[in-house]
Amino acid sequence: MSGDEECTRGDLLTRALAGERAAFAALVRQHQRSVYSLALRMLSDRHAAEDLAQEVFLQLYRSLSAVSSEAHLGFWLRRVTMHRAIDRLRRAPRLESRAEELAAVVSETEPADPLLQRRLRALLRELPAAARAVVLLRYQEDLDPVDIARTLRMPLNTVKSHLRRSLAQLRERFDETADALT
Amino acid sequence: MSEDVENNEELERRLRSALRAVDPGEGFAPRVLARIAAEPAHATRPARAGAVASWLAFGLAACVVLAVLLAHEWQARRLEQGREARRQLIEALRVTDEKLDLAYRAVNTHGSGAPAEHSGV
Repeated sequence: MSGDEECTRGDLLTRALAGERAAFAALVRQHQRSVYSLALRMLSDRHAAEDLAQEVFLQLYRSLSAVSSEAHLGFWLRRVTMHRAIDRLRRAPRLESRAEELAAVVSETEPADPLLQRRLRALLRELPAAARAVVLLRYQEDLDPVDIARTLRMPLNTVKSHLRRSLAQLRERFDETADALT
Repeated sequence: MSEDVENNEELERRLRSALRAVDPGEGFAPRVLARIAAEPAHATRPARAGAVASWLAFGLAACVVLAVLLAHEWQARRLEQGREARRQLIEALRVTDEKLDLAYRAVNTHGSGAPAEHSGV
């Protein structure tokens, strides 16, 4: 990221804090992919994901004064999104089982083996919410375990344990699928 | 062992690919702004919300300090009142002692018909 871009982003935050709606809209556009994707992959439901993502940005608008920098903003958005998603799953576990949507949740650039990619996403939904959150932050947001622990307010060893067990489970189930397809 | 590592790397590569971020679409930001606009102003104004929270915290802290000072003042007054009561009690006891002493002398004087000095008291 260039210095100018960093400056512009910081500037956006300041302007949004001053009440400038256009600056806040620009912040939303910058972070909407990340927030929406996390919500979508946690809830497996487009409408619920859109609603949750909107709520997160609404909460951001109310709490802008608590955000100190662009880096803090990213951290804040991921933390609020994941906690809200886990909270929703706890209150409405039926969202977990909605089989969906799976076909509709396709990356914009469809990968070479879409069937396996979809299967992998389906397997991800079978993980418990906390483990899924850890895997998403690791492989979608590219966070390291320390940052994941901070984001989810989880002990570092728990994060590592979730990652290890989830990868083992995903690999086992994925290999079965791949074998069946070949 | 190295096969395991390779398998994990392959799985991680596939995960990163499968979990690429999805955009909610161009209309998302306007929908967020519309939702903000639909909320009551006092609930969404960012700077004011922070300022209100700051003032509330300041007010609460001021109340706590005031309460501590009042409690301290009240306790100091009670101590002072206690000291004053003790002083008055001692004074009253001293006066009573003097009166009793006088009464005792008077009784002795009249009872023996002789001056108290001769009764040996």
